[in-house]
Amino acid sequence: MSIELQNIHYSYGQVKALNGVSLSIGGGATGLLGPNGAGKSTLIKIMLGFLTPAEGQGKVLGYDVRNEQKFIRRLVGYMPEDECFIPGLDAVTFTALMGELSGLPRQEAMKRAHEVLFYVGLGESRYRLVDTYSSGMKQRLKLAQALVHDPKLLFLDEPTSSLDPTGRQEILELIGEVASSKDIRVLLSSHILADIELICDRVVIINKGEIAASGRIEDLKMKNYQLYELRVKGQLNGFRQELEQAGCRVEETEDRLVKIYTPPDFDRRRIFQSAARNGVQVRQFVCSQTSLEDLFARVVGVD
Amino acid sequence: MAEVREKGYHHWEGQLREKGPVFWPITRTGIKLAFQRKRFKFLFALSFIPAISFAVGVYVSERLEDFKFMAQGAEKTLQVNPGFFKTYLSQDFIFFMILLLMALGGAGLIADDFRHKAIQLYFARPLTRLDYLLGKAGVVAFFVGLLTLVPAVVLFLLKLLFSGSFKFFLDYPWLLLSIIFYSAFLMVFFTCYILLASSLSKNRNFVIALIFAVYYLSEIVRGISYVIFRSPYSTLLSIMGNLQQVAAGVFQVRPAQDVPWYLSLLVLSVFCLLALIFLRRKLRGVEVIR
Repeated sequence: MSIELQNIHYSYGQVKALNGVSLSIGGGATGLLGPNGAGKSTLIKIMLGFLTPAEGQGKVLGYDVRNEQKFIRRLVGYMPEDECFIPGLDAVTFTALMGELSGLPRQEAMKRAHEVLFYVGLGESRYRLVDTYSSGMKQRLKLAQALVHDPKLLFLDEPTSSLDPTGRQEILELIGEVASSKDIRVLLSSHILADIELICDRVVIINKGEIAASGRIEDLKMKNYQLYELRVKGQLNGFRQELEQAGCRVEETEDRLVKIYTPPDFDRRRIFQSAARNGVQVRQFVCSQTSLEDLFARVVGVD
Repeated sequence: MAEVREKGYHHWEGQLREKGPVFWPITRTGIKLAFQRKRFKFLFALSFIPAISFAVGVYVSERLEDFKFMAQGAEKTLQVNPGFFKTYLSQDFIFFMILLLMALGGAGLIADDFRHKAIQLYFARPLTRLDYLLGKAGVVAFFVGLLTLVPAVVLFLLKLLFSGSFKFFLDYPWLLLSIIFYSAFLMVFFTCYILLASSLSKNRNFVIALIFAVYYLSEIVRGISYVIFRSPYSTLLSIMGNLQQVAAGVFQVRPAQDVPWYLSLLVLSVFCLLALIFLRRKLRGVEVIR
């Protein structure tokens, strides 16, 4: 396991930020999702050893989050959300400096800096001052500095923010490759659910300081709800009311496609029984694919 | 033969360093960044003019007979004694050049990191806040040391060399220690002063203005206070005045003001202590992840 947390509690004064968080994350790429104020940042701070939990135990890459923060940060790469750099330095010097601060010998840091800059696609512009880089280039540079010391685990905070669609696609491909073929575990915190769905095979959804859902995305989608798409004829009001009372969410699209999200263990025959009772004719019934967005909305309790 | 590898990402096989001076790469980068500025290089060279003049003075003081035709009555002014070193290390020009160089090369040490949010990059690594501060402090200490400690020690050695004996050393056996102590004191004081100023704003230009304003305003306040109270203790309000009083005490010469030199040392030490407390608090409040 790369991350193992047990019953983590943390409060900012009277405000409880994390309330008994327990999770374990293994290899591959994991998405960290949650609305603002859910406790994502506090959780990352605890995992990086910036905050000491009030209660609970935790290990990141086998090191204790309470006492071995330096060891954790040596083995972890962090790509911040903000645009951040040291003005006046060229990309290769900047990246080498970051490698050296992580514990690489000076010459090795410089060598690795060249390598990772080529890897993230900044090879040709590695001697340019970072001040002159575009937003997309700065994003790649942040990934390079996070990778330079060959971390075992990468924390990526909104890695595709401020990128155009092409740039976003390229950086996602890079992250995907790092996670899948370079044996580096990735924890990706993002508000863009599509990014997480594309890169990660696992997700941790955190809400109000508690883990709302955690596991393989495909499993969670199946476990938490089913989505059925229907084409119907007749008055929907009674049908909709009855299903909503049974715990389903019913949506109607502009082209009169009815989407029914059913709770776990909901017998789909009840949909037909309800339709019959309300005089609604079901002309098409499809068990549909659900998205991460649907899952997120459901476990966090928002539309 | 070296391994030929394809471009791309490769795992690193070595062992990451766990001990050693973590702050040194920060200091080295800070020094490099300062020298990247053309004006800095010019001013840095200019700041050695007093050292060269004093070196000439040391030479002439040992060859007074040869230069008699040029330097009439120079016996009094060209006496190389503790006062000579005190004059070199506490002259207005040296302080001004330290301020000027540090305004150019040191104002952005912390301010730029705040402005470009680079601090989170440092602290996401196995680096403590103390390591970060030591790294930044090293830049200021390096330049102040180059302008004070190095020339003063060289002047001392030149005196021994030109005189051809150890008489000067035996006359003032404590002088070398005084030079080291006072230079170290200047390094500590200016480090605290510049880093404090640099941490007060994200705007480098504001920091530059602050560095000069506080220094010279303290001198103006001293002048006003002296006019009102006619007390020599007014000098305790001036940074420059206090630095010169401490120099007089350390080199055992008569101070410009009739105020115990240790009071000036105390004032400046309290200033440094408060600056360090402020810096610690400021950096403790840095949010690496928001």
